[in-house]
Amino acid sequence: MSNRRKQDIPTYYDLPALNTPHWDWRVSAYIFAAGLGGGTQLLAALGELLPRREGQSISRKGRYISLLSALVSAPLLIWDLKTPRRWYNMMRIFRITSPMSFGSYLLTGFGAFSAMTALGQWTADRGSRLGDRLARLAQWPATLFGAGMSCYTGALLSATSNPLWAAAPRLLAARLAASALATGAATLSLGETLSGRRRNSSRLEGIAALATSASLFLSLWSSRLYRRKGVHEAMEEQDIAAREKAALLVGHGVPLACYALARLSGRRSDTLSIIASLSTIAGGYMTRDAMLKGGLRSSRRPRDYFYIAGRGRD
Amino acid sequence: MTNHPRAQGESRSILAGPFDAEAETTAGVRIEPGKNYGFFTDTTLCIGCKACEVACKEWNALPSEEGKLSGHSYDNTGGLGAHTWRHVAFVEKSGPEGVRAPEQQPYQSSWLMMSDVCKHCSPAPCLEACPTGALFRTEFDTVVVQQDICNGCGYCVPACPFGVIDVSADDGKAHKCTLCYDRLRAGQEPACAKACPTDSIQFGEVEELEQRASDRVDGLHRQGVENAYLYGARGSPGATGGLERLNAFFLLTDDPEVYNLPLRPSRPASRAAPSLAAGLATAAGLMAAAAFLFTRGHDHE
Repeated sequence: MSNRRKQDIPTYYDLPALNTPHWDWRVSAYIFAAGLGGGTQLLAALGELLPRREGQSISRKGRYISLLSALVSAPLLIWDLKTPRRWYNMMRIFRITSPMSFGSYLLTGFGAFSAMTALGQWTADRGSRLGDRLARLAQWPATLFGAGMSCYTGALLSATSNPLWAAAPRLLAARLAASALATGAATLSLGETLSGRRRNSSRLEGIAALATSASLFLSLWSSRLYRRKGVHEAMEEQDIAAREKAALLVGHGVPLACYALARLSGRRSDTLSIIASLSTIAGGYMTRDAMLKGGLRSSRRPRDYFYIAGRGRD
Repeated sequence: MTNHPRAQGESRSILAGPFDAEAETTAGVRIEPGKNYGFFTDTTLCIGCKACEVACKEWNALPSEEGKLSGHSYDNTGGLGAHTWRHVAFVEKSGPEGVRAPEQQPYQSSWLMMSDVCKHCSPAPCLEACPTGALFRTEFDTVVVQQDICNGCGYCVPACPFGVIDVSADDGKAHKCTLCYDRLRAGQEPACAKACPTDSIQFGEVEELEQRASDRVDGLHRQGVENAYLYGARGSPGATGGLERLNAFFLLTDDPEVYNLPLRPSRPASRAAPSLAAGLATAAGLMAAAAFLFTRGHDHE
C-alpha cells in the first residue's frame, strides 16, 4: 500500500522538502577535532597499563593534545554560529533531547578535565607529586568525557530529519568512534616516532590499524544500509562520491597498506609509520567532510526523504 | 490615549479602538492561555489567491522575496523559509498521458492549491533540537522562536521534518511562523486565517478544529470526493513516528508528497539515544581491544 518504488514517488516540482543548514567545513573540522581529542584522551588513560616511563610518554602527549583539540573545537563551533556573540546562550539551558545542547556540556566538561590533566601533567613533569595525582585523578572524568566527544557528533547528525544522517544512527556514531580512536592513535604514534619512542609508536600503530579496520568495515556496512534504505544516491553524485572515495583511500587504504608493508618487510620503518599517521589524520577529516556534505546534498533530494519517511520498506 | 493628528476632528468612526477578543467576532473563538490553538487548512476550499502569504508578510513585516518567475505554475515562492511563513503551493493536474480528462472530479479538479505553514508539532522537533531555549512552547500550545535568544546555530533547520524553519542570512537568527503570537495575546485571530476569503484556513482550538475537519471529510466523502483525508490530525498521516499531532493540520485530496509533505515523518530526538549508545559501545569495545594490545605488548618483555 504505502510502499512504492522510489522513482514512482511524486514530488513538488522536485523542490527540496527540507531546508538545509548553513553548516560548512567548520562543522566538519569541529567533528574531526572533537573526535581526535576524545581519542587521544582515551589513549592517555590506557598509558597507565604500560611500564611507567613508556606509559607516561603516551599519557603526557595524549593529555596535551586533548587540551589543544578542546581549545580548537570551541572556537570552531562558535565561529560556525550565525550570531556568534551569543555563544554563551548554549549554557542557558540543558536539553537532553538535543545533542547540540548536551554536546555543548560535553565539550565544556571535556575542556575543563583535559585542562586539569594537562596542568597536572605539566607540573608533574617539573617534579610535583601533587601534579601527578591531579593528572591521574582528572584522567577518570576526562576519559568519560573523551568517550562522549569521540562519538556524540554521530547523535548530533542522526537526530535530524536529514535522509542520509537519519538513515543509520547507530552506524554513524560507531564510525565516528572508530575513526576517533584511529586518528587519536595515529597522532600519538606520530608524536612517539618523532620523539624516538619507536616501541610506543608501534604499539599505537597496532591500535590505529585495528580502529582503521573497524572504521573501514563500518563504512562499507553503512554504504550497504544506505542503499537498502534508498538514500545512497546523494553519496553517488559525482563530487560527493569523489570525496567519499578519496576519504576511503587516504583514511583507510593508505595507512592499512603502510602497516601491511611494514609487517611484510619484517622491520619497522619510520617513513611508513609517519605516512600512515599523516594519512589517517587527513582521512579522518575527509571522512567527516564527506559525511557532512553528503547529508547536505541529501536534504535537497525530496525523493530520498519521502522514501525514508514512509514509502520505503522499513 | 490621544488620537493620531489625522484622526482629530474625525468623529464618525464606529469603533473606539481595537476591541478585546476580536477573534470571537472574526473566527468564533475566545483566545485564552492554557488552551491549544492551531490551524485547519482545508485545501478543497483554497482558490490560490495568496492573501494569506501577503497578510503574513505584512503583519510580521517580513522581507519580500527576490522577484523572479519559477515556471512552477503560479508558485513563485517555492517553499517556506526564514522570510516566508505561509506558502501557497500550486499543482496543475492532468489526466492520463498529460491530457485533461473529459470528466473531472468535483472540488479542485485539475488544480491543487494548498497554503502551507508551520505545523506547530506536538512534540516539536525544532524545539527539542534547540540548545539555547530560544524555541519555546507558548501558553497557546504554539511554538515560537525568541529572537533575543537565538544564536543561529542552525540545528533546528535539519531537525524540522517539514522544511519550515530556516536561519535568515540577514540577521543570523532562526525564523518561522509564530501563529501570530502577538495577535493571539491581543485576542486576535492570526493574520493569514483572518485574510483567507474562502475559510480554507480556519483558526481555532485544535480539538474543535479536529472535529470540524473530520465532519468535513465525511461530508466530502458523501459528495463523492473519496480521496479526501486529513494530514497531521491525531492518528492520520503526518502525525506519525512520535509526532502525536500537528497543531496546524490539513485536508488533502492527493498523496502528501504531491504537496511536498512526507507520508510518515518522525521525531528526530528519538534517534539520539540509540546513536550515542552505539558510539559509546564501539569506543568501549575498541578501548578493550587496545588495552589487550598494550598489556600483551609488555608481558612479552
